[in-house]
Amino acid sequence: MQPRRQPPPAPRSGPGNPRPTAPLLALLLLLAPVVAPAGSRGADDPGQLQDAEVPRRLLQQAARAALHFFNFRAGSPSALRVLAEVQEGRAWINPKEGCKVDVVFSTERYKPEEGEGHLGKCSARVFFKNQKPRPAINVTCTRLIEKKKRQQEDYLLYKQMKQLKNPLETVSIPDNHGHIDPSLRPIWDLAFLGSSYVMWEMTTQVSHYYLAQLTSVRQWKTNDDTIDFDYTVLLHELSTQEIIPCRIHLVWYPGKPLKVKYHCQELQTPEEASGTEEGSAVPTELSNF
Amino acid sequence: MQGTPGGGTCPGPSPMDRRTLLVFSFILAAALGQMNFTGDQVLRVLAKDEKQLSLLRDLEGLKPQKVDFWRGPARPSLPVDMRVPFSELKDIKAYLESHGLAYSIMIKDIQVLLDEEREAMAKSRRLERSTSSFSYSSYHTLEEIYSWIDNFVTEHSDIVSKIQIGNSFENRSILVLKFSTGGSQHPAIWIDTGIHSREWITHATGIWTANKIVSDYGKDRVLTDILKAMDIFIELVTNPDGFAFTHSMNRLWRKNKSIRPGIFCIGVDLNRNWKSGFGGNGSNSNPCSETYHGPSPQSEPEVAAIVNFITAHGNFKALISIHSYSQMLMYPYGRSLEPVSNHRELYDLAKDAVEALYKVHGIEYFFGSISTTLYVASGITVDWAYDSGIKYAFSFELRDTGRYGFLLPATQIIPTAQETWMALRTIMEHTLNHPY
Repeated sequence: MQPRRQPPPAPRSGPGNPRPTAPLLALLLLLAPVVAPAGSRGADDPGQLQDAEVPRRLLQQAARAALHFFNFRAGSPSALRVLAEVQEGRAWINPKEGCKVDVVFSTERYKPEEGEGHLGKCSARVFFKNQKPRPAINVTCTRLIEKKKRQQEDYLLYKQMKQLKNPLETVSIPDNHGHIDPSLRPIWDLAFLGSSYVMWEMTTQVSHYYLAQLTSVRQWKTNDDTIDFDYTVLLHELSTQEIIPCRIHLVWYPGKPLKVKYHCQELQTPEEASGTEEGSAVPTELSNF
Repeated sequence: MQGTPGGGTCPGPSPMDRRTLLVFSFILAAALGQMNFTGDQVLRVLAKDEKQLSLLRDLEGLKPQKVDFWRGPARPSLPVDMRVPFSELKDIKAYLESHGLAYSIMIKDIQVLLDEEREAMAKSRRLERSTSSFSYSSYHTLEEIYSWIDNFVTEHSDIVSKIQIGNSFENRSILVLKFSTGGSQHPAIWIDTGIHSREWITHATGIWTANKIVSDYGKDRVLTDILKAMDIFIELVTNPDGFAFTHSMNRLWRKNKSIRPGIFCIGVDLNRNWKSGFGGNGSNSNPCSETYHGPSPQSEPEVAAIVNFITAHGNFKALISIHSYSQMLMYPYGRSLEPVSNHRELYDLAKDAVEALYKVHGIEYFFGSISTTLYVASGITVDWAYDSGIKYAFSFELRDTGRYGFLLPATQIIPTAQETWMALRTIMEHTLNHPY
């Protein structure tokens, strides 16, 4: 695997600043939305945390949420980005409303390209609201890939999708050994794009997701030239280690906004389990499509 | 979960299967009677009508026998297959042609086919006979790994031995490799991989590491010094039932496969089943959860086996538990944010180890305590190890950071193992130089 970029002089160190207050703050932030450090603050003042006090984890969560939203909104499977490094951030915690985070981070292209070490830079304001499930996001990023190149690659991908002969039904992308056949790559990229919408909606201060595997694909014929397909993904949620099957329905045309509908399976409780061996990794049939 | 093909009626034996069956019996015959079928062919004839069929039946009646029917003449629509000895080929083909019987050559040389089949049969029974042809840059099945272990131990019996420390829930052997240059009850280092079965990169790294140890012993001064004074134990497949399941049914299975009466979900998270903060935050009492801690500490045979072994041994000085993914090197505690008493030393050691790792391929790792670096987790291996007096207890999360996650491409096995080795070596060296 290529190094992701020019190596900085020293490897990144963890949050393990052996300051006793830092872990304590982390505890407070993560376990209860408590207003921050002692000081003269009114009951409604959102507590603002300084740079050094904001746990790295919270900034990472915000950056991830922002990036999922960015990818979804860009609607381009060729221009997908992943998080490279969180650079700085601030957070405000209001126990009644939620947690607001400003974060600056660098990104790189999702598609590994030879010789490219380009980093894009993004700044985002992410609001993890107590009442609403999905984080509200304002994000801007520097351009990582030329518009014309992106359009060309999107169009190429579009044509590849249109040329797929068989509806693929049950697949494993990547296969169990991590390999994605080049001919299946367009499907994967489009699935990742659609999954970004899902992962944006589901990311919180604590939960974050990765796309683990694509397990079924079905492409539908359309009479308006759009790409229309149903697929099942397995999302991996890191804090609980759960594998969450989601059925996603996506409609896409290069340059047009992406349309996504989805349904993810809830974690089984012992009462609901039906004696199948697979536990929480069994995808359910989607009822509303 | 990979789907299995939908149900339907089972098809009857295909012509290929039937042929294979006949070939097997031929092999048997050949083995018993030392027969040789070189040059013999199998012809397939299509009789158009009853007249042609009876011509074929005439062939059957010839004495001495000139053909041997594998599929005898029955009805005009059905093909007739006959084995024709090399010596009779010319005559028989002339007979068929003169009577307008269309035929094709199904098998051009039976002996060649027999040899190929025999080789294939032997191959499918025989796993690799030596480790030099074992591919370290591929993922392997449980059977392949256990077979490799036997070969490995045989080839390096001067310093490696195999110990069975228990049985899994589904009664598979739990095996540990011991690397030792002798002595009795040397201070020891424990390494486990695969406690979570879907983390395939960890088993692969463990295997490469085992091979690295025997290769570098006598060549790498640091490793040689370590092995002269200490023993190394590696448990490659800490969760054999789960691992077998990731191959057969569910690539993303994490837990073991234990079943309890009245509980419909299967499996316990083996890294939540240890007796240290058992049942606390970061573990789950819901049996359907991926972090289900089980009914009680050490309830799982896979965990109990390790606890019993390490406790009975009594002289372990370091324990390293290897997971994926996230690219992190961490030390206790997972169960709380409370720092351990030697956290400064562990911080510095982790920093050195991560730097050594980085130098290999430029991969960056976070480091710190588990609770502050990854998440709060209770009942975990390294917390138990630390509470049991093992001061140098570390947990790795190997590559990557989510792009491929558990499905790390096999092309990354060796680079991952190479860099991880440098971190392991750093930790082991520190353990050697800081006896307690």
